[in-house]
Amino acid sequence: MSYCVNCGVELDASAQECPLCNTPIWNPRDLEKRSVRDRKEISQQSPFPKEKSQVEAANKKDFGLLMSMVVLATAATCGILNGLVFRETLWSLAVIGACGVLWVILIPVMIYTKQPIYVSLLYDGAVVVIYLYMLTFQTGSREWFLRLGLPITVLVTAVAELVTLCIRKLPRSFLTVSLYLFTGIGLLCLGLEMLIDWYLAGEIALSWSAVVLTVCVILDIALITMLSRRRLRNEVRRRLHF
Amino acid sequence: MENIDKKQGREKRGKAQRRDWYQLDLSAIVYPTLQRRDFSSVYRLSVLLKEEVQPDVLQKALDMTLPRFPTYKAAIRKGLFWRYLEPNDRPGPFVQEDVKNPCQPMYFKANNRYLVRVYYFRNRIALEAHHSLGDGTGGMCVLMTLTATYLRLLGHEEIKNGGFVLDIGEAPDEEELEDAYMRYANAKVCPPRLEEKAYRVRGTAEPFYTLNIIDGIMSVSEVTTAAKRYGATITEYLNAVLLYALMVKQEEERQSRQRPVKIAMPVNLRRFFPSVTLRNFITMIYPGIDPRLGEYTFEEIVQQVHNYMRYYINEKLLRGDITTNAATQRNPFIRVVPLFIKDFVVRLFYTKVQDRNSSAGLTNMGALKVPDGMASYIERFDIYMGQPFSRRTNCAIISFGDVLTVNFASSIIEADVERHFFRKLVKDGIHVKLESNRD
Repeated sequence: MSYCVNCGVELDASAQECPLCNTPIWNPRDLEKRSVRDRKEISQQSPFPKEKSQVEAANKKDFGLLMSMVVLATAATCGILNGLVFRETLWSLAVIGACGVLWVILIPVMIYTKQPIYVSLLYDGAVVVIYLYMLTFQTGSREWFLRLGLPITVLVTAVAELVTLCIRKLPRSFLTVSLYLFTGIGLLCLGLEMLIDWYLAGEIALSWSAVVLTVCVILDIALITMLSRRRLRNEVRRRLHF
Repeated sequence: MENIDKKQGREKRGKAQRRDWYQLDLSAIVYPTLQRRDFSSVYRLSVLLKEEVQPDVLQKALDMTLPRFPTYKAAIRKGLFWRYLEPNDRPGPFVQEDVKNPCQPMYFKANNRYLVRVYYFRNRIALEAHHSLGDGTGGMCVLMTLTATYLRLLGHEEIKNGGFVLDIGEAPDEEELEDAYMRYANAKVCPPRLEEKAYRVRGTAEPFYTLNIIDGIMSVSEVTTAAKRYGATITEYLNAVLLYALMVKQEEERQSRQRPVKIAMPVNLRRFFPSVTLRNFITMIYPGIDPRLGEYTFEEIVQQVHNYMRYYINEKLLRGDITTNAATQRNPFIRVVPLFIKDFVVRLFYTKVQDRNSSAGLTNMGALKVPDGMASYIERFDIYMGQPFSRRTNCAIISFGDVLTVNFASSIIEADVERHFFRKLVKDGIHVKLESNRD
């Protein structure tokens, strides 16, 4: 029978420290005995089981398997159809690519739910790049892919990763999330127009994205002001709370 | 012929026919919407026997007992507008060896769609049930009937039916399966509810699949003596001690802005409105103190809780409260909204308002009575409110004979609230023995 020296509560014979204040239980008289003999007993006497359990996961995996098989079958049959029957163009690449994109997007939802969101976004970006590359076999020219498709996909992925990083790692509230989103939208539009201009005209002349960016900057400044002034922040929270 | 007559006679007195489905009761509507990957509203009741439990006999007892409780031998399903319970005839539930981390989430499609789990560990039988099936009183009926059946199978035939132990040979009463809220939610006005955001315990979240338990075992007479010294009942006294623990915790945190400290406490409505329902029939009250008004001594906290309870726990105000609850469910415009929108709104309301109304949960099952012949086989009972929805600690109290058990369940690493709570009890001269599953 031991008592915690700090809390004054009686502790269970199996306890090695007080669960309330983590003070070790320590009887100077049988210190030597304790280390060898009692520890063995301890494992037998604890009033609680030692094994932890994990609940049976919801049966998303079966559905994931079904989806994977359907996607795979669609891709395979289209490939065969293209190879044996309608052989004029490589049209099946578009379908196979789309199936691939769908499958990769569904991974975090159905197949491997523990996948970090950053990795998921990276995979999504990569699979879209591959899909666009596959489409070049249809269009004949690769220029649009190299100068437009690839950079835009990289840009969108990068912005999505950045916004996610901000939302997850920086303080998160209604106001800060709006700040990250508006900044993301501004940067995205700017990048998009630059890439499109560069592809079409070979030089960069900003027009519509400048307007979007200006609006986003104004909103950002307003949000930053609200975030920095407590009274304003509380006012907004009060009026927009849900 | 005589048998048939008897049977018909019973049915006339209100025996339940087998039904294809059951509507969820008023409280039960909320619990499934709060379901997350790492959270289900699961509570746990356990009984500590004086002999080691035999799993095969327990399984037999469970198979014999559960059909007596049709709303517990059920699965939950989704309709277009509401969820509902459906009788579950799949194999199970099967008894299993107890685990260190009880009250794990209960996914609706797992475990053969059963929403109850039965565990055994040495002398202990534990029942975990999803709150959408019923409240602690209903669960206790299942556990006690199961235990009585188990003991009878072991040859202790002298155990009688009565109280929480129901006759497993009898068909369930219609009234046991009713939604009692709807019968009593008939006040002519819906009193508004004005609750302010309460202090929330800041703690470090434990990883998923962890539930920290600290059980305090003490003597009922010692607690009664301490409570009497302050002129309070056991519930009021323990409520005040928990409020005191939370108040001290808030002071220690030295936040620039203090908030009221409040406890969410379920009240068993069966005490005020005659009903034998085994489903949910509880409502919440929020005794609390506001440290912004000044410093409270412990005596003042006890006084505050005492007065609050005297004022709020009466048939009239409780009737008003359940009428307010029922008003939303009765509103025809709300009824026709598709389930997924209702889910979204209810979850939002719960997370943003309801959950923030209290700093901790506390429930008191009171002194349990068992039928003649059963008491000598039972050591004590335990009750856990289960995994808290947000990072905090929940406290549940139950007593049997002279043993009073206070069970804390939390999903945070820090045990500050528990420490202040038990230290106060020790200071008041109560001998407390602790058991914990913390490493």
